[in-house]
Amino acid sequence: MGQPMRDALGEAWFSTLGEPLGAGERADIAAYLQGLGLDASAAPRLATSWEEAGILLRGATGSWWESEEAERRRLEAAVHLDPADPDWIRLNDLLHGAAAVAAARCGNSDPGMTRVAAGAASYAAYHHELAVLAGCDEAHPFIRKYSLYAGGRWLLGVYDGRLAIF
Amino acid sequence: MADAHPQVKTTQDFAQQSPEYRTSIEKLVVSHAINELQGARVFDEPAVALAPHPYAKWLTCRVAMEEYGHHCKFFDLGRQIGIDEDRMLPEKTSKKPLNMFDFPLTTWEEFVAIKAFGDLAEILQVEDLLHCSFLPLRNLARSTMPEEKFHHDFGMQFGRELLKDPESKARFQAAVNRVFPVVPAFFGASRSKNNALFRELGIKLRTNEEMRADYVARAQAAAADLGLTLPELPPELLH
Repeated sequence: MGQPMRDALGEAWFSTLGEPLGAGERADIAAYLQGLGLDASAAPRLATSWEEAGILLRGATGSWWESEEAERRRLEAAVHLDPADPDWIRLNDLLHGAAAVAAARCGNSDPGMTRVAAGAASYAAYHHELAVLAGCDEAHPFIRKYSLYAGGRWLLGVYDGRLAIF
Repeated sequence: MADAHPQVKTTQDFAQQSPEYRTSIEKLVVSHAINELQGARVFDEPAVALAPHPYAKWLTCRVAMEEYGHHCKFFDLGRQIGIDEDRMLPEKTSKKPLNMFDFPLTTWEEFVAIKAFGDLAEILQVEDLLHCSFLPLRNLARSTMPEEKFHHDFGMQFGRELLKDPESKARFQAAVNRVFPVVPAFFGASRSKNNALFRELGIKLRTNEEMRADYVARAQAAAADLGLTLPELPPELLH
């Protein structure tokens, strides 16, 4: 297991969902958007419930998703991760467990949303691992995004020009 | 027939079994390890890019990880019973993955059809191992079954979303028409000697023909539930 994956096991996954954003988190959000070449001028939208997050996630995302995908593809040309690596599977199961605990804490009983949260965190951890292995510095958008997840957030995406976060 | 063979409770006990018992179990473990991995690679992981919104993309991502996880579980069991690792990896073995994984996935509707109707076939295959005489394999099947059911439900849930719009409903019906005919072969040849031995050894419960017929009946019920039709299958696919 690589160091980034080892570190991931001890993060605060999904522990601050819906809580007010701190200055450091706002800085991570701005750096993340700027790193992807997206407009960072609009204030982030804070989702405060699983239901609200679920509605947002079914919306159109504009260029945000494709910006992330383009960067993912660029990094994958340089480094490769095996998604069937047993350590990676273990981390993914941990993420699913953390999402389930967070959902239960809020009274959310939708197993679909729990898996969506786990999938989002998995993608963030994958992006982070790619960026670290490719030698990217701390300013890289995937590393700034990961910092938000590691601090207990769920970055929901960019909708109508505003980044939404839970 | 399932009670005819005594239970084999551990991988240590497995080593004491007859060569035909060990070979039979190995065949099944290798097949599951290869096909779970191939399915994750050619269907689930590429489908993330086809999904229409982040909810669907991240749910697909999680489903892909569950499929990779199933491969890892079979792979790990295979190693415990002495199967060479290369025999359980599609790129390193001469054993081909199932033909259904040759289906060229190009649309979200096709992926939803694969989950609704392809993963239904996977449920039947895993069901047939739920009373397997080799308990580590039985327990592995039992532990993956809730996720297998969720993957089928995923197809049904997103299928219902596609039904809301006449155009997407038409694309979904067309996808079902393409996907469904490739699934029945998933159950293997009729009058299979391998299957007869599996049943004799208490590893599996039903013939390939029985499972295929049950699958078609359940697929028809799932299609009716969605308000869709299934294409007629040529006789050679049913026998």
